Amino acid sequence: MAIMQKNYLFGSAGKWRRLTPLMLLIPGVFLYLLIALGPSLATSVYSFTDASGLRGAAVNWIGLDNYREFLFEGLASRDNIDATLRTLRFSVLVTFIQFTLGLILALLLNQKLKGRTFFRTLFFIPVILGVVIQGLMWKLFLQPRGGPMATIFDWFGTQSEFLGGLPGQAFNWVIVVQIWANVGVTMVIFLAGMQTISEDLYEAARIDGADGWQLFKSITWPQLTPAINTNFLLNIIGSLQAWQLFLVLIGYKPGTQVLGYLVYAEGFGQGESPAFRQGFAAAASIVLFLLVLVIGFAANRYVSWREDRYMA
Amino acid sequence: MKHQRRVWTTLFVVFALVLAACGSDSTESTDAGTATTGAGSAEEVTLRVLAHQNPTFVAYMEDFNSRFQAANPGVTVAMTVVGQGDMASAINTRTSANDVDVIDFCAGSCSAFSNGILDYMGDNYGEKPVWQQLIEAGLLMDLTDEPFVANFDEIAIRDAGTFNDRVYALPMGRVTYSGMFVNNDLLAEVGVAIPATWSDLVSACEAIKDSGNECMTVGGGDTWPIFVGASGLLGSIFPDQAALAEGLWAGDIKWNEGKGLEAVEKFQVFSTEMLESGVTGLGHDEATARYAGGDVAFMPTGMWQAPNLESFEPTFDWTYVPFPGSDTVADNEYLWGKYDMSWMVAADTPHPDVAMAYLAALADTTEYQTYLDAVGFLPTQPTASLNSKLGDAVADLVPAYRVGLEQYWVSPSGAGQWADGRQAAAWFAPFNEWTDSTELANQIQADLDAGLSG
Repeated sequence: MAIMQKNYLFGSAGKWRRLTPLMLLIPGVFLYLLIALGPSLATSVYSFTDASGLRGAAVNWIGLDNYREFLFEGLASRDNIDATLRTLRFSVLVTFIQFTLGLILALLLNQKLKGRTFFRTLFFIPVILGVVIQGLMWKLFLQPRGGPMATIFDWFGTQSEFLGGLPGQAFNWVIVVQIWANVGVTMVIFLAGMQTISEDLYEAARIDGADGWQLFKSITWPQLTPAINTNFLLNIIGSLQAWQLFLVLIGYKPGTQVLGYLVYAEGFGQGESPAFRQGFAAAASIVLFLLVLVIGFAANRYVSWREDRYMA
Repeated sequence: MKHQRRVWTTLFVVFALVLAACGSDSTESTDAGTATTGAGSAEEVTLRVLAHQNPTFVAYMEDFNSRFQAANPGVTVAMTVVGQGDMASAINTRTSANDVDVIDFCAGSCSAFSNGILDYMGDNYGEKPVWQQLIEAGLLMDLTDEPFVANFDEIAIRDAGTFNDRVYALPMGRVTYSGMFVNNDLLAEVGVAIPATWSDLVSACEAIKDSGNECMTVGGGDTWPIFVGASGLLGSIFPDQAALAEGLWAGDIKWNEGKGLEAVEKFQVFSTEMLESGVTGLGHDEATARYAGGDVAFMPTGMWQAPNLESFEPTFDWTYVPFPGSDTVADNEYLWGKYDMSWMVAADTPHPDVAMAYLAALADTTEYQTYLDAVGFLPTQPTASLNSKLGDAVADLVPAYRVGLEQYWVSPSGAGQWADGRQAAAWFAPFNEWTDSTELANQIQADLDAGLSG
């Protein structure tokens, strides 16, 4: 006991021993308040004002006007609600496809195949590129005048305007790019999970005559529960908040906006006759936050239930 | 205990450093004091300039900055070039952070003091324009009493630099965006005359396409060049665009009736029949480069692309004419346009004298002519002239220059995303989902009415 007290960072006095952990937390809590919680709380306060975001500009308390405008005012509210629904659609499709694809890639690249390190690197490389680089690459790839994808389409006697064409088509291409850009992370998390599964389990199951599907269903899938849960949550939250690719790939085009882009456009004066509306943008971001919160909470409950079921 | 004191002292120092980092920049305060010694002193001053991306403009600015630095020892110009689409957010963040001294106001449609709130809008407008927000926040320096303001046209200063009788911006030129570049060689090869009416243009496009060439190109990948390219068409139908904006707000003019519907129908012909396929993948400058290749007959866009066109292909034989949107020749004789970029000074610049010296140098009449020769704008200084091929092409049309709807239009609060009908050319397939002009016209009017009735 005496040795423990002597080695204790802040000495042996009883009150210091009790206070020390709390004091050590202060820098972290301070930084959290400064760069995370503080701005979040400020955003919620901002959402009840007509703030432009400009230093020195008058800020007036307008109550729920921003929320009323977002949800009910004229046909602009239709566009806002469409953007919200589009965000959900984007999230569902990205989560489902990215999760499935990441799992398939991880299963393939967890085999003892020749060149698997190369392919792991190949699928992970997009993750380390910035959004602008990712966007520019795909804009070139999807160039309708003689670009690589246009040439492939041409082989099959068809053509497309890709990102510059119909809103639904452009939107789907952003989904493709979003998945391409992030599937590497999903794959790596699954791979990490697979490598923690004991080979003994598979060996025992094989001796009992289990086939590939049974191995996956009865061993891999339950044992992957922590990785599945992590990927599920990361994919949902990441896709709900995604908007930068829309900016780089499409720009401000009717019929393609997601909520995150709408927040940026309103807050930072995008469009032909721009104005800074950071109070309204804050209200839109609170709507997005609530969306993430509700879906994230439901997803979290679900993954907790899975963990209880499979890992208990 | 000694050990404890050391740990606590360390923690205290760390906190003090963090708090100091969050505080004001004392170095800048010192600079603010010394900057009053002015340009030309030996004091080391860095002047932070924010400028928009345009190849010929940026080339001119780099040359000007070198000359300014040579004439003002100790002054370093740190110019940041930002894409036009990002200028609004760059202006917002950098003025708010007091991280800029001189601002090239080229946000949104790059138009000085446009889209102002007018009496007929009442309080039903969505938001004040960026320039007004900046002035009302006290972020722009009042230039009214600066002697170089007198170098500019009174009308230009009044319309594009003044708010509440105070001058805040130097409008550096006017441009027309309603005309179209004409490929003289291609027209001669196909045997088609420069079209003077809408019907002529439709026939010319058919003949050009039949010859295996393309009729028109624009930078559709950037979206705005599509509807800006069609702005001359709208001008031919509505020759008073201030009255058009007011008429739309009053409900006297509707997009789904009469001339409004005619405009939307012609926009569809423009987008779906005249523009070449694949323009959705071309940026604005890329379209100009492609046009310089000689396979396309017309490029409807702003005159600011003339210097780029000349630099891409100096031997290319072109001219610039009004877009013929009407079958009455007299309706097609106007050039529609805007005041383009303008210079402003951040109110809290720590180097006000250097910033003013910079603006004075830019506004100098001899320097202004150099600038004009480089960028090819219509002058806003009475002593300057547009000495270029483009200047020759539009010389007779300058008296018929008018400010376009783009500069007047403000959508009412609550209006839907389709309310700004002047953009309709960019909403037809292949650029967007609309394939029926009447349906789109009805949607435009419904989206506008939703705001007007609010």
